[in-house]
Amino acid sequence: ISQRAKDEKTRKLLSRIIRVDQAGELGADRIYAGQIAVLGNTPVGPIIQEMKEQEQEHLETFNKLIVEKRVRPTALLPLWNIAGFALGAGTALLGKEGAMACTVAVESVIGEHYNSQIRDLMEDDPEKHKELIKKLSKFRDDELHHHDTGLEHDAEKAPMYDALSQVIKVGCIGAIWLSERI
Amino acid sequence: MSTSTGDRNPPQDTSSGPGGSASSQTSNGGYNTQRTGQGAQYSDELDNSEDLVSEVEEEEMPEETEEEYQTKQAVLKASLPFVHQYGWTKKAIVAGAESLGMPSMVHGMFPRGGAELVFYFYEESNKELESFLKQKVTELKEKDEKIKTGPFIHDAIETRLRMIIPYIDKWPQAMAIQTLPQNAVQSWTNLSRVVDDIWFYAGDKSNDFNWYTKRGSLAAVYKSTEIYLIQDRSEDYTDTWNFLENRLEDVVSAGHLARNLQETNTVLSEGAKGFCVMTRNLLGMNNR
Repeated sequence: ISQRAKDEKTRKLLSRIIRVDQAGELGADRIYAGQIAVLGNTPVGPIIQEMKEQEQEHLETFNKLIVEKRVRPTALLPLWNIAGFALGAGTALLGKEGAMACTVAVESVIGEHYNSQIRDLMEDDPEKHKELIKKLSKFRDDELHHHDTGLEHDAEKAPMYDALSQVIKVGCIGAIWLSERI
Repeated sequence: MSTSTGDRNPPQDTSSGPGGSASSQTSNGGYNTQRTGQGAQYSDELDNSEDLVSEVEEEEMPEETEEEYQTKQAVLKASLPFVHQYGWTKKAIVAGAESLGMPSMVHGMFPRGGAELVFYFYEESNKELESFLKQKVTELKEKDEKIKTGPFIHDAIETRLRMIIPYIDKWPQAMAIQTLPQNAVQSWTNLSRVVDDIWFYAGDKSNDFNWYTKRGSLAAVYKSTEIYLIQDRSEDYTDTWNFLENRLEDVVSAGHLARNLQETNTVLSEGAKGFCVMTRNLLGMNNR
């Protein structure tokens, strides 16, 4: 396989990863914003606020990468903007447990997703992508921390926890699939 | 922009041209990138043996080799001078191949016929545009000047369109070929390349939906100017460049209009909210 084809393959992989990660972090940020809109004044408000600020940091990193690596952002950004806020506000209306259940579901999908991206990057060229792999690893750890925070705050006591969790996970996986391509 | 097959993977050739013997084993070598992507995605779910199968398949079906690629490029380059005589067709490619001393059967390496020649020319012009843009940016940096977006974009489009002028007698045919459904995707990719390059070197840093509006509007300007160009009869095509300037101004004023509308909307909604609050105060509703 020629060098040119190999470079093209790497470029496509990087493009896809950065595009979907930017979309994901925007989505996560908006989900937390929706939750804060409903639960901002409750005791759990500051915790969600802290998680939101971490997501904002992640988002800024990917915004910079989009420009740096000349990646096309996903055309569905406005859609994720609205859908994220709606999901956050909607689950928050089920109470604090609902919001935490949403967090747990989303963060578990994102954690797995970051892991598979890290695997793909290592498979392609561990040396060249060292910086990016490090960043993704840190973000994955942050997301898993959010996941654990959610569990600590009674996520599993949410109404219809299993069904809610499944629906949100499937939605996230669908959103990821779309953002990688569109 | 969203093609997963990439812009450098032409469909598999059926005859064995020079250095193309490995290709006869494959049926869809051009789609390898898609398969690899899927392989990586599903590797979590499939067991290891199926990973091995996809790996072996990759080795047996190489993408176009470097030698094939270079040969094709050489033939297409030699075919361009014959476009005036034969148009963007297989005949021109055959003439080009023969001028290099190759057998006329080489045209089998180009299943899309004349379209391959059009795309080759388009891609070469895009490369030339990119080096022009790079050079311009470097010059401006050395003089420590800031890039003025308007004139920069105007110059970029003018430069790119001027590359068509040597072939302008047969360019309408090329444009028609590009609108055929089987060529539409590649044409779209080529056009996206032009506008993306121009915006990137003009210093665009957008990372949200503006990325699309900027490129979409520039693509519209480019396309309409291209159409104007092929029927322009003025001296050195000055009418075309004036047309271009007007279209660019339209885009700028559309941007201003959009911003004004947004601001107006904010002011109006604030006003409406204030009116509601005032009404509630008057009716004493806010104190209940």
